[in-house]
Amino acid sequence: MSQKSLHLRLGVVASLFALFLVFFAIPNFVFAPSNVGKIVLSPKFWPYVLSGLTALIGLGLVFNALTTASDVPFEDEETGHPEGSAPWMRLGALAVIMVLMMFGLPRLGMVWTAMLAFAACAFLFRTRHPIAALVCAVIVPLLLYVFFAHVAGVAIPQGNFVRLP
Amino acid sequence: MSLMDSLAAGFALVGNFEAFFMLFVGLVVGVVAGAIPGLSATMAVALTLPFTFAMTPINAILLLLGVYKGGIFGGSIPAILIKTPGTPASSATILDGHPMAERGEAGRALGMALYASCTADAVSNLALILFAGWLASFALNFGPPEFFALILFSLTIIAGVSGESLLRGALSALAGLLLATIGLDLVYGTNRFTFGDPNMMGGLNFIAVLIGLFAIPEIIAMAWNPVAHLGRTRALGKSRCTLADYLGSFKSIIRGSLIGVFLGSIPGIGAAPSAFLSYSEARRTSKNKANFGKGEIEGVAASEAGNNGVAGATLIPLLALGVPGDVITAIIIGAFMVHGLQPGPMMFILNVDIIYGLFIGLIVSSVFLLLVGSVAIRGFKFVADVPKRILMPGVLVLCVYGVFAVNNNIFDVGVMFVMGWVGYIMMRNRIPAAPFLIAFILGPLLEDNFRQSMLMSGSDPSILFRGPITWFFWLLTAITVFAITRSTLRKKVPLS
Repeated sequence: MSQKSLHLRLGVVASLFALFLVFFAIPNFVFAPSNVGKIVLSPKFWPYVLSGLTALIGLGLVFNALTTASDVPFEDEETGHPEGSAPWMRLGALAVIMVLMMFGLPRLGMVWTAMLAFAACAFLFRTRHPIAALVCAVIVPLLLYVFFAHVAGVAIPQGNFVRLP
Repeated sequence: MSLMDSLAAGFALVGNFEAFFMLFVGLVVGVVAGAIPGLSATMAVALTLPFTFAMTPINAILLLLGVYKGGIFGGSIPAILIKTPGTPASSATILDGHPMAERGEAGRALGMALYASCTADAVSNLALILFAGWLASFALNFGPPEFFALILFSLTIIAGVSGESLLRGALSALAGLLLATIGLDLVYGTNRFTFGDPNMMGGLNFIAVLIGLFAIPEIIAMAWNPVAHLGRTRALGKSRCTLADYLGSFKSIIRGSLIGVFLGSIPGIGAAPSAFLSYSEARRTSKNKANFGKGEIEGVAASEAGNNGVAGATLIPLLALGVPGDVITAIIIGAFMVHGLQPGPMMFILNVDIIYGLFIGLIVSSVFLLLVGSVAIRGFKFVADVPKRILMPGVLVLCVYGVFAVNNNIFDVGVMFVMGWVGYIMMRNRIPAAPFLIAFILGPLLEDNFRQSMLMSGSDPSILFRGPITWFFWLLTAITVFAITRSTLRKKVPLS
């Protein structure tokens, strides 16, 4: 992707988001008492100012994209773009793991959920050390449980099935 | 309270094994994390934060400062050995450090990096001790309009942490400011974007947002490309840094330290520009000018002195004004708040024992860094060999425990995951996360002081320009904005 296309895309999204805030989100989800005399003291004032600035930056990005002559792609070293659908599937799988963690935390307890999530992630990342990954998947959540529950005094969720001391 | 009384109070607070042990542990964690490419000093400080909840404030802050200082030095290890800076501040170290490693002098380069770092760290700590108290006593005269002008100026930090595009940095900052509006209104107590959820009424948890933005995207990036991190490590070689090497580069080290102190005390400039400025000054004045970029040890000394000179100085605006100097000190401000402390001028009156305890701890940290760094240089091979595909699931689990521990609330874990994906999308779209976090922290302060000023004046905006202090900060803001605009327009691509 080039800077030109990136800025065009970001600019359009930022401008639309600002419009969404001004015309829908702020009127519906920011509440101001009816007796506020001056607009600058209203709870809505700051969000409106920020929305306006977002729109300005959005337009700035669009303007920048339209006035940039060169369309040279970025040297994409940091994120990398491996080919095929596998990366997207891994991203989807990680999202599923996160959602399952949210469901699992109150039901299975943090320790067991963390163990399963650790192992699942290690295999998702195609680890070359599966035995070490499994050992770490058991030990790391247990050690963290010992620290947070018994040293820091945090009430770590225990779940409905197996409770730890 | 006299200086001696303050010092005695500080000693009483840190004069125990536990405080120094925490500082030492922090340095070890920081150096190790800084040495692992992909685990930056920022991420290390963020991940260590939850472990400090059960500690006393002084131990907690010393631990985090140890991680910060260790992380800045640790970043130079992979910069020299595998040409991958562990932190952005170490980028300048690559220029001469890696060519030295390629000719088998990695041990010499790392030794110089360590000695320059420790010297610069000591100079920077001294500057902090000398100037923070003076600045804080000046800041005691500040009211809401002065703080508004100061925080507005501090938001120009965003230009310094925006990376390759100012517009994308500004967009990121605005997103942070908008996210900070979630919760109950500061004056009237009405709901803003809470959607009726009681979990959102106090605003989004700072630590959940922070860890979500800085740690989770790295894990998601690992899912996208699990082999992106694989690289080649250089051996240390047999040569070591000698006293003659150190003395030969001493002038550059001191100059780099002073550059670091000066730039570090200005919010937003950060360690990377300081390292490059120090490097270019050393190159300009060196007898071995021609060797720079080809493996000149003075180049390593200058860049490391430049980036470590910043570490103590960034704490000057943090402690004296309550304003973060960079993204790591922004996280450390969060740590102060978690422990019921509000950095700023009042802290020099209400918590003077903690201030002087920190000063004492920081002086000791330079010595500890020398010890920890010497071992870390030899042990780097083991650190570099930690399989990242096992490390990252461990980081995920650590994030979940850490974020839950803040409020004992699973909702915060959800916020962290959501912010993680937001951070990843930002990363993929080259939107820097640092402006987002700084704006998220400064946003409520900016709005709060603005509205307090308006309440004081009956909505008369002229109060924002009421005296020389506000004029000073408005002038600084105008000069900074002018300088940023000019330097941006000078580039070939406008505003990018």
